[in-house]
Amino acid sequence: MDHDNILVLDGIAKQFGDIVALEHVDLSVRRGEVHVVCGENGAGKSTLMNILVGIHAPDGGKITFNGKETTIRDPLAAGDMGIGMVHQHFTLVPSMSVAENLFLGHHLRRFGIFSDRRAMVERAGTLIDTYSFALDPEAIVSTLSVGQRQRVEILKALVFDAELLILDEPTAVLTPPEVEELLKVITNLRDRGRTVLFITHKLREVKAVSDRVTILRRGKNISTHITKIVTENDIARDMVGRDVFLMGRQGQGVRTFGNNVLQLENVSITNSDGRLLLDGINLDVRAGEVLGVAGVDGNGQTELAEAIAGLIPIQAGTIRLDGADINNASVAERQEAGLGFVPEDRLDRGLSRNMSIAENMAATNYLREGILWRGFVDKGRLAEFTQKGIEQFDIRGAKPGLAVGSLSGGNMQKVVLAREFARDPKVLLVSQPTRGLDIGASEFVYSEVLSAADKGNGILLISSELSEIFALADRIAVIYSGRIMQILTREDADEETVGILMNGGKEQAA
Amino acid sequence: MINTNFKESLHALIAPLGAIALTMALGFLLVAAISDEPVLAYRELLFANFDSLSNFALFLNRATPLVLISVGITFAFRAGVFNVGGEGQLFAGAIATTAVGIAFAGLPAIILFPLAVITGIAAGAAVGWVPGILKVKLGVDEVVVTLMLNTIVLLFTSYLVNQVIRDTTAYGAVSWKLPEHIWLPTIPGIPGATSGFMIAVVLSLVSWVVLFRTQWGTEVRSAGTNLRYAEAVGIAAGRRVITAMLIAGGFAGLAGALYVLGIGHRFEQNFSPEYGLIALTCALLARVNPAASLFTALYYALMLNGAAYMQISTEVPRSLVILLTGLLVLLMTARLTRKGSNNQTFDAF
Repeated sequence: MDHDNILVLDGIAKQFGDIVALEHVDLSVRRGEVHVVCGENGAGKSTLMNILVGIHAPDGGKITFNGKETTIRDPLAAGDMGIGMVHQHFTLVPSMSVAENLFLGHHLRRFGIFSDRRAMVERAGTLIDTYSFALDPEAIVSTLSVGQRQRVEILKALVFDAELLILDEPTAVLTPPEVEELLKVITNLRDRGRTVLFITHKLREVKAVSDRVTILRRGKNISTHITKIVTENDIARDMVGRDVFLMGRQGQGVRTFGNNVLQLENVSITNSDGRLLLDGINLDVRAGEVLGVAGVDGNGQTELAEAIAGLIPIQAGTIRLDGADINNASVAERQEAGLGFVPEDRLDRGLSRNMSIAENMAATNYLREGILWRGFVDKGRLAEFTQKGIEQFDIRGAKPGLAVGSLSGGNMQKVVLAREFARDPKVLLVSQPTRGLDIGASEFVYSEVLSAADKGNGILLISSELSEIFALADRIAVIYSGRIMQILTREDADEETVGILMNGGKEQAA
Repeated sequence: MINTNFKESLHALIAPLGAIALTMALGFLLVAAISDEPVLAYRELLFANFDSLSNFALFLNRATPLVLISVGITFAFRAGVFNVGGEGQLFAGAIATTAVGIAFAGLPAIILFPLAVITGIAAGAAVGWVPGILKVKLGVDEVVVTLMLNTIVLLFTSYLVNQVIRDTTAYGAVSWKLPEHIWLPTIPGIPGATSGFMIAVVLSLVSWVVLFRTQWGTEVRSAGTNLRYAEAVGIAAGRRVITAMLIAGGFAGLAGALYVLGIGHRFEQNFSPEYGLIALTCALLARVNPAASLFTALYYALMLNGAAYMQISTEVPRSLVILLTGLLVLLMTARLTRKGSNNQTFDAF
């Protein structure tokens, strides 16, 4: 039945220079459904959405909206037709209130000239209540959290009655609890008759929220499924084009480990207000073992990683690396002693985006790799070392002299891994290693971490993704509010137990 | 390898040269609008510097402090410190060298000359150290500190030259002359041109090697581009930032020392046409590259002196140069990005 389709795309194609972004995409979105478009980075998701809101014009194909064939000239035309888009990066004025942002450019007027503030606040309030968004229409945007700002973005699209709401990777910038909130919001929107087109590459979100899912790969739509009857593995296979191995070690049997290579004894950190950020942490990692630290973000993981790396001082306790007390060792000395560190945010501590790939990859390896000669950099050796890393880690589009910031997120992460793994460190401290990466890149990171463990490196994996912890870890430590709640072997752990511990041991509100 | 490096260097030169050419062309239109003899005016502006050996010597003398200060500022910028304190550091170096030279005039040159130079460098470095340490230890904004220090140092030198070491036989706020045996020799064959220029050239090339081909330089640039990254890869980032500011101040101090030893032979309160600020522009136009700032400094020296000749020969006011240099900054910052060239790293040169 054609008439219940709000949007039908037929053979959409788009080319940028020599690069084919979209080869041939067919897509039909039914009125009142949540339809997910998913695919790897570079599959053409964003291009497709930009065509729908009139930012790009398609080179070929037909767009039918509400039963009529249309061309969408520009974003304003898209808005008038009833297509609203929530961009990944926010387009709000931070110094203005929620209501002012909602009506920006379309102020409600009194007598045709004066802005009618009260009417705008009222209408914003009604809208907020309708969707139970829990926002104050008069709050200034800069005081809002990221999740709240995103809701303002969504309202901006709804205020002029968008029938079709497009959300472009909305969860990329959110913390896990905010993601939960957003998914509820989306369900609520559907219940109120809106149609939602949701772009993501996260399988969990696909399953949680959508009615149907369309998978793009290399500019073509591979398949469309009804979400209920398709498995995450099937979706992943369609996205990547082959079977994906994200299961880690599950079911590989008992493994044996060596000595303790990293020990934390009663490690505590107090901040300047006297609040305990880490409270008597006891952990040990054995050679060849992956110890996963699970927890909701902001429960001390950042401090734990930085304390082990030597970036912040600890107030009490002892950290031992391969048996030796490293409390007073500098960052460089710890690296020399065999510590590798993959920071949680690659653009913050992991890389210097304006420096070259070579300089980023060599940063902790100059001496050992013989790149230095009496303090001078041997450019030949540097290029050689970098080239080796690029090949070994399959960093696409990389040349030693390019700025590391020109790479995609996944390839940037590979530069960090190449740097830290090159030393074959006794202990690898890996924090949120797949944040923001797509499935293909995540799979690569998983296999690198596991093969490092197989070589006998001890690995401390800090992650807020439970699936990641369960895929990789041999033992699981749950951190909550700066304390280790419990350490479980994987055999004893299940997602429910860990989930309860992550929330402080209390039963989760159902 | 050498070949590709050369190509990269050449590539880096194209954009600034294009901007300079465009500036000059637009400037010519301006001159044509206000002058009956635009060609003569422009000839004076561009070529009068080369009319005689003495003009050429003045040109080199003008360029010397600019090269030194802008190379120094490059160290600061590369370390992530926006150092606008070149002027104060310059004055500190100049007055310290002068004071030592006058106070110990009796010492033999072999002792007094190095002593005077080192004192100048140390004074400049000390003025550079203050904003560096304040930024690293307390997070104080370096722009404010360096700007304030400029005023402090300038007024302090004004006090010294007026009240303490003033040459009472001369007109204006100038110090006693330095003893002749520590004057810097001139460049052989160019009477009047200070050999300080050769020192500046050598130092700018050495600085390029230090910044881009040594581990220390890599560490400074790491700290400057992303301090938190630098810390995480084990670099003593704070220390690198402070050292870079010491070097920046030291270079400006050296510029002051070489000025009084080689050009002025005494401290004059008005010896600088804001060398510190012009050098800042030179460093930025050179894309914070010490070797390239050699050329931008020469260009500015050419314009500064050429404008004076132009004003003498035609009725075109020398302030035209301010306009031209402003235009140049505009054109350089509004850089045209060719398709596909945006992958070029900032540091590739």
